[in-house]
Parts: sequence; structure tokens; C-alpha cells
Amino acid sequence: MDISQYMGMFLEESREHLQTLNNCLLDLENDPGSLSVLDEIFRSAHTIKGMSATMGFTTIAELTHEMENVLDLLRKGTLFANDDITDILFKCVDTLEQLVENVASNSDAVVDIKPLVAKLAALAKGEPVPVVKSQRVHSVATDQAEVQSPPIEHIELDDTEINVVKAAKNQGIECYEIQVSLREGCLLKSARAYMVMSALEELGEVIKSIPSVEDLEKENFDNSFQVVILTSVDPEKIEATISNISEIEKVIVVPSIIPGNEQKLPKAIESKYGKPDAGNFEKKPVGDKADRSSTIEHNTSNTDKKLKSGQSVRVDIEKLDTLLNLVGELVINKTRLEQIGLTHRLSELVETIEQMDRVTTDLQAVVMKVRMVPVGQVFNRFPRMVRDLSRELNKEVNLIIQGEETELDRTVIDEIGDPLVHLLRNSIDHGIEHPAERQAKGKNAIGEIRLIARHEGNNVIIMVEDDGKGINPDVIKQKALEKGLITQSEADKMEPSEAIRLVFLPGFSTAETVTDVSGRGVGMDAVKTKIESLGGMVDVETKINEGSKFKIRLPLTLAIIQALLVKVCEEIYAIPLGAIDSTINVTSNDIKTIQNQEVILLRGQIIPIVRLANVLNVPNTCVHSQDELFVVIVHMGEHRAGIIVDTLIGQQEIVIKSLGKLLAGIKVIAGATILGNGQVALILDVGALKQ
Amino acid sequence: MSEVTYSGNEIQLVVFKLGREEYGISILQVQEIKRMTEITRVPHSPDYIKGVMNLRGSVLPVIDLKKRLNLPPQEYNDDTRIIIIKVEDITVGMIVDAVSEVTTIDKNNIEPPQAVVGGIAADYLSGVGKTENRLLILLNADAIIGIGQEVKAG
Repeated sequence: MDISQYMGMFLEESREHLQTLNNCLLDLENDPGSLSVLDEIFRSAHTIKGMSATMGFTTIAELTHEMENVLDLLRKGTLFANDDITDILFKCVDTLEQLVENVASNSDAVVDIKPLVAKLAALAKGEPVPVVKSQRVHSVATDQAEVQSPPIEHIELDDTEINVVKAAKNQGIECYEIQVSLREGCLLKSARAYMVMSALEELGEVIKSIPSVEDLEKENFDNSFQVVILTSVDPEKIEATISNISEIEKVIVVPSIIPGNEQKLPKAIESKYGKPDAGNFEKKPVGDKADRSSTIEHNTSNTDKKLKSGQSVRVDIEKLDTLLNLVGELVINKTRLEQIGLTHRLSELVETIEQMDRVTTDLQAVVMKVRMVPVGQVFNRFPRMVRDLSRELNKEVNLIIQGEETELDRTVIDEIGDPLVHLLRNSIDHGIEHPAERQAKGKNAIGEIRLIARHEGNNVIIMVEDDGKGINPDVIKQKALEKGLITQSEADKMEPSEAIRLVFLPGFSTAETVTDVSGRGVGMDAVKTKIESLGGMVDVETKINEGSKFKIRLPLTLAIIQALLVKVCEEIYAIPLGAIDSTINVTSNDIKTIQNQEVILLRGQIIPIVRLANVLNVPNTCVHSQDELFVVIVHMGEHRAGIIVDTLIGQQEIVIKSLGKLLAGIKVIAGATILGNGQVALILDVGALKQ
Repeated sequence: MSEVTYSGNEIQLVVFKLGREEYGISILQVQEIKRMTEITRVPHSPDYIKGVMNLRGSVLPVIDLKKRLNLPPQEYNDDTRIIIIKVEDITVGMIVDAVSEVTTIDKNNIEPPQAVVGGIAADYLSGVGKTENRLLILLNADAIIGIGQEVKAG
């Protein structure tokens, strides 16, 4: 068998499972007793084992096999997931990552898995594991107890159902709620559910199930489901009947509660907090874990989502680009047809094209949407990084991620990882204080870093917020002075907010000593440069002893930008809207010259003028009779300039295309775009205009 | 040379006209042949670059081949064609006066370029091909595009 064709799939899936393993191990660390997390870890490890064995990567298979042995013991409760075990498991994941990357790069580098395998084997044999903090064991036990006997969540019935139950009770027929849990790894869940349902039908009348019968048939459920049944049979009989079906982990039968009967209180609470999610009943933060619960919960909801959404297809991004091109071409041809229809007055054609217009517009929107990916793809790798880093620095940090479902174009997603790594490292190293220091300040010993993404108009905002010590503008000024980045007089005049922005200067660092983490003076300026190269902005807000907030604003996509189309003689150019301050009309009398440089005065500011026709050597074919001139005021960094154009056509979204290798070196032109009529228009590189 | 043998000793050529002379380019380098279309001028580009065109959604540079070869210009007419060629990963269009046919020529009938053929520097040519009754000037597409001789381009 030629396995090379499956290579891409293997790599991608392995990486995905490794990411899951990382996330789940983090969860496990916070909640060592969680069976569902252990199961998820087991599943991922098992999948990797299977895949790598099929592909012939025996080392990976061997390591995952040993991991499974230990994980199995953890699941059975023979072992407790203490810090040592999670550490070893983390190391296993790191090694697996290395192995997979070796496969990806076709490298022959030998990774020695023997020490790890030995450690795992020792664990599996039940050899003594170093003593664990008693407190943690205690909380584990609590969790365990909770898992052992989960309280059954009562099913809410609607009015008709309640009437049915009441009528049945009058006839002496009892109503029971049954919770059925399938064994982990149960293969044909829907078939098992069907067997349970038909067994129950024989015993009585099933009036409701959560999830619905339809979802059960489609396997749209976790490992458990609930059923409400009307029957005259004993609950023990029901339990016994269902337990007889294979691959059933657990059956709980309780009498149903209906309004009008006793026990109103739980019902009220239940309806207040919404319907419980079937199969997800063991999540309760315990004791000292409560403050970390937000992260745990967020992760849980994420895995749930993944289980439910399910069906997707992996597509090469290049294919999507081609698709986008083709759709663009379709739109252009449609425009041509429109023109033909109008010139020849073919009303039938025009009507058809109007229909087509709607379809193509939708098509374009869908193709663009397909290119969008959730920012979670990047965020996912951070919890592990934050954990490792905070351990290294002996700090306690709780990372809270919000808005990971925020979608961004693939082109941007690929680029924002590095700047975010810098910002997070900075927050942990410079921002968050050591636990003792925090307590002395009256803060929670555990620092908090929030990584938040959200949409704001046509932009995405990503924020890295910490509750650390903040940035002191005076210290920054002092450092900048020492390094000769600013002068004393500049420093005296500088507002605190301006001073803080000095951290973005190249070569700036406040770290006293260079550590592994930061202090080399690269970083913040690199972050700023990167973000700006993506057409975004980065800003910082900070309060001493309260923390800092770095705010990144990014365009949704790099492939499509808002631009102002302008005309110079017969040529059309696009100016990116991000660079435009305003547009104004002036008369030729408004233009003055200073040292042979044409300028205009705008609200007291002298702004140099660029005549686009001259800069671009536009052939002088058109005659200017107009006295009124259109000026587009653009900014390039700190400087501003006015660009004189002949006509403003209007603002529109344009798709950026490269001019190709042959024309790569051309200054003043940043790329090209194709207009609705098929014509190519060039995009101005405003930064290169000033020369 | 990037010509690839077609079968045995023969190569297949797309034959086109520049002025009154006939030229050939290996068919394997030719992607397609288009009618003259709208071309957007690119400021500050070398003078032989006519501009950029839209080929089904991608933007490609178009070379005015006569200008590139220092031949006297001529108005574009109905016969004018753009030959889209692809060399390595660069795709460009070349404007030619007319495309006449596709023909095969025996490699043994190709002579190395002389120093100057009809005023064209030998660098741009890969040889002169002889068929029964005519001569075909064979283009060196790499040189036309400027691969490996950035200095000259411009």
C-alpha cells in the first residue's frame, strides 16, 4: 500500500490530537479526578496509536501504547493523576510532537523514548509514586465520589406530557426517569440506544427522551441519554433489563417528579438555570479549584461543541484561493453579460442576469466565509505555554480565553501567533508578580491573564490583559533616556500615555537581566512591526499595580481591503482606506510652495502635496480645465501628505492580488485588484509615495 | 535551454509573427493564446512591460515582445495576440503581431544563434530552425522574461 497519500491526513490529525492531549492534560491537572477528561485523553492517545501503527511509525505507536496502559489505570481509579503523572504525560506529548514533526520533515533524527516508556511501565506496574500533596488527594476523592453517584438531573416535561403522566398516575401507572450511560468507546451508539429504547417500549410507554429519538438515531449524543417512561413494572426490573444489554455502563432509574407533586424546590432551581445538558453531569468545581473553574468550564463547552458539530471537510487553502478567483471571474463575466443585455435591449436576458446576480453575490459571500477560521486554532496552543512558563518562573497564572470562536481569514490567523506569544510571555514575565508579592499587595496569589478576541465592525480585536504590576511610565522614560532613545527635553514634555508607547521602540527593554523569557530588547517592537505589516494597530493601556492591557486591532482579512478608487486621467488606482485620513476639495490657489515643495494648509497644519499624475508618470493625455482639485489626505506613520487626483470614484472592497515575481520590485505599487468590469486596477503603496 | 524534446529528435513549436519575420517558441512553454485585451499600465516598470492583464482572475504582466527585442513598433490590430507562457513559476503574456500555426521541427535542423539576427541580440534566441522553405527564429523564453539576467532587464 502506498501510504504517502495519507501522510498529510495523518500529520494533520495527529497534530490535532496532540493539541487535544495538551488541552486535556491541562484540564486534568486542574481536576485530576475527571473521568470525562481522562476518557478524552485516552481516546486521543488511542487514535494516534492506531493511526501511527497503520502508517508504520512504530515508535509513536509504542509510546502511545504505554501511555494507554497508564491512562487505563487512571480511568479505573487504580492510579491518581498527581503532578508527577501529569508531568510524565506532558513529556510524552512533547515527545510525540517531536516524533510527529520528525515524520513531517522527513528527518531521521532519533528520539529516545526508552526512558519515558520505562517510567510509564513503572507507573503501570503500580510501583510507588512519590507522595502527593494531601490537599490535592482530598479534592480528588471528593471529585471521585461525585462521579461515582451522579445525581440524576430531572427532565422537564411540557404541559401535555405532564397531563399524560397525571392521567397515568390516576390509573396506577408510575412514571420513571431513566438515565442510561453507554460504555466509553461503545462503537454503535445509536444501535445501543435503539436496543435500549425497544427494550423500554416492551416494558411500558416511552413518552420522552433527551436528546430526542431522532438525535439518538443520528448519534447526536454523548455517552448517555435520558428517557421518561410510563410503566407498571418495578424500577429494579427496568434497571435489570437494560443492564443486560451489552455495552451499557450504568442505568439509573428514579421516579419522575411532576408539578403538583412534592419536591417543588429542585424543579424551580432547575428551570431557573435552564435544562441540564444530558451526559455532562459531573462538572462541579471543588474547594480551592473554584477560582480556576472558568477555564475548565470553557474547555468543557468546547469539547462538547466539537462532539456535536462533527461533519467538516479539510480543504487546501490554495484550492479555496482558486475558487475565489473563479467566483471573481464569474462575477466579471456576469457584468459583461449585463452590458450586452443593456446594449441590445434584451429584457429577458437582463432578468435572467438579475437572478444570476443574486446567486453570484451569495456565492462570493460563501466562499469568503469558507476561508474564515476561528481564532481558537491559534489560542489553543497558549494554555500549555502559559503553564510551562509560569512554572519556570515560579508564578501562578490562570489563563482565561474568551471569544475563541471569533473568525478571521486564514491569512491573518497564520500571522498572529507570534505576536501573541510575545505579548503573553511579556505579561507573565514582566506583568504578573510572584505569589508572595501579589499577596503582599492584597491581590489573589494567582495572577490572571485574559486573552480575548471579538469582532468590532470590519476589524477583529484581540486583547491580552493581565492583572500584574502594570508599566510605570517614569521607569520607561528613564530607560529610554539611558539608551539614548529620547532626549531629556523630550522626556520632560512626554505624557505618561506617550511614555508607555516607548516600549514599542526598537531596542527597548526594561528587564534588568536577560532571561530565557525576555529582556533581549526584541519583542515589543517586533510585535508592533508585525501587527502593522498586517494592516493592524497595537495599543497599550496600563495602571500601576492593576495591570496592563495590550489591544490589537486587525483587519478581518488580508486578501480583501476597503479602498478608495481614484482616477488619474484614464487610469484607476486604489488607495487603501486604512491609510486615508480624509478627502478634501481645494482650488489651485490653495496650493502654496515652500522650497519648491507644493503644500496646502489644512486646519493650521502644513501638508505636502503629491501630484499622483507626476509620481506615476501618467501619460499626459487628458486636459485639466477644472479649478477644483481633489486631495486625498493620507498618513504614513507620523507624516501626512495630500495626494492630488482627478476624480474620486468611491469606496469599495477590493481583493488584493500580487503582481507576480516579475514586477515585485516596483515601488509605489503594492499590488493589483480586478474591478467589476474585469479591468485591472493598481493599489498604491502610500508609504512609498513620500520618497 | 528549457526546450523539451517532443518525440525523439523533434520539437513542437508555436509559430508567430513579429513584423515580417516568423518566430517559434516551444509549445510546452505556451499555456494559451488570447486575443488582445485591456492592459493596465504599471508605472515605473521597464518599458517593454506593457502592463498587467486579467487572466481569469489572476493578474499577469504582459511583455511587448517587439519592444523587448528592439523591433520597430506597429499598431495593434485584429491579428494581434497575447501568448501566455509559463517558465518556471512565472507566467507572463507576450504580445505578438499574429499567431500562424503549430509545427514540428527536427532538432538537427536547428542552428545556434549568430551574434545578431535581424538586429536581435543573440541572448534572446535559442537558435534558428530551418524547415523546407523557411526560417524560424527560436525564442529563448528564459531570457525574454529576464530569468538569470536581472541586470539587463530594465
